[in-house]
Amino acid sequence: MATIDTHQHGAPSTGPSTGFDSRPYHERYKAASHFRDREHEFDAVKMGVWLFLSTEVLLFSGMFVAYAVLRFLHPEAFVNGSHYLDRIPGLANTIVLLLSSYTIASAVRNAQLGQFGKLKLNLLITNLCAIAFLLIKFIFEYGPKIAQGKLPGKLFHYPGAHDPSEPLWWGIYWAATGIHATHVIGGIIMISWLLVRANKRHFGPTHYTAIEGVALYWHIVDIVWIFLFPLLYLIH
Amino acid sequence: MSHANPHGQVLDIYPAGAADSHAHHGHTIISGTTLIMVLSALLFFTLLTVGASYAEAWLADLLNIVIPQWINVLVALSIAVVKTALVVLFFMGLKYDNPLNGMIFIFTIVTVACFLGFTLVDLGNRGSIDRIKGTYVTPGGSGGIKTPGGATTEGPITQWAKTGAANAAASGAHGTDTHLETQTDTHAELHDDGVPHASSPEASRPVHGVTLPGFAPPPAAPKDPAEGEPHTPEPAPQHPSKPGNPDGH
Repeated sequence: MATIDTHQHGAPSTGPSTGFDSRPYHERYKAASHFRDREHEFDAVKMGVWLFLSTEVLLFSGMFVAYAVLRFLHPEAFVNGSHYLDRIPGLANTIVLLLSSYTIASAVRNAQLGQFGKLKLNLLITNLCAIAFLLIKFIFEYGPKIAQGKLPGKLFHYPGAHDPSEPLWWGIYWAATGIHATHVIGGIIMISWLLVRANKRHFGPTHYTAIEGVALYWHIVDIVWIFLFPLLYLIH
Repeated sequence: MSHANPHGQVLDIYPAGAADSHAHHGHTIISGTTLIMVLSALLFFTLLTVGASYAEAWLADLLNIVIPQWINVLVALSIAVVKTALVVLFFMGLKYDNPLNGMIFIFTIVTVACFLGFTLVDLGNRGSIDRIKGTYVTPGGSGGIKTPGGATTEGPITQWAKTGAANAAASGAHGTDTHLETQTDTHAELHDDGVPHASSPEASRPVHGVTLPGFAPPPAAPKDPAEGEPHTPEPAPQHPSKPGNPDGH
């Protein structure tokens, strides 16, 4: 279809020398001038994404260390804290995120195989899962907790606490899940960008660097939740 | 017709660069079956970890025992590590990827292990050092705090929240305002000797039960300055639960 479309504009296309390339975007795509070729660019971008993900892991590891230290010093408060959380919305969110990880991994595969329709569908499902994650989070967790005063630090005014250190638990809870939710919002923005570009047929077997990068990011967001879920909800 | 690329398994990202001998090293297309199987495994492990969490709570209630926290931690985190390995190897494709990316990832994990490891070794052994120095790590949490109103509370902020709710209940006993829900909540928890009957999202329940003999903590070893024998360092996670796991609450 892209070929037919371009033929209309392509006039008597007599090969590349005329200056107009009738191939679809992902085939005529040229690597940036400072790369040898597309392969070189793909590898460099992917390694860059991995380095970025490494800093992401270190960012969250600060949170996990803080969790360990505070749990160490205030075990009672943290035992009480995990009892405040409902495992069901947490489980639902875990399943939603795992599904989205699967669909975006499939999206990479679709791009590699040139399955443009499935590519768009998988990206769309991924984005819907991400939005569902945030909805579950805000409706079933953040909303009621804000209303009841289960807040960190001096914002805390929940009257039913047993342990004087429970505001610290809420500090970790809000910081960790809040930064994670921020990453989910960032993911939604980037996946939407992929959808727009996929709609323009920008991605295909010869060029899918952006999908690969965003997919890697999205998997890391999933992995962080894989750890947050047991640490906050399940260990009691 | 429009696309020259066949739906083959080897993906040449740069057809014109045939001279580029290393062009075929990457870009494995992971099969759909593999992806589905990994997803199923991830969902299975998710249900397993939630099930284990329920089972532990149920067992502790049934036998009236305290399951040591490190068992909880061990079970939950082992499953999380397995799930992470699945995601990293297959969804992120590290199994088929340039080894350099794998090295970046492993380096990151080692760094995180250093953060956690050194922190916990430090915290877990302060008892033996502070005894020499004559002071102890205090749990804290009992200091006053500046409330949003501007006043500094006397005791912990949790106590301030309790009295605030009680005052509100006393002043507007028959008022039907938004505080009602939290008030009943408070009464339910406070008038029952501070111990709710069951753990729920709305009520924290202090741990109660008997600690099994094998897991019984040595009696207050690090806190006793008179004791001559140096406190042997032990695995970090189980240490903190000792002062906080009283039988009678």
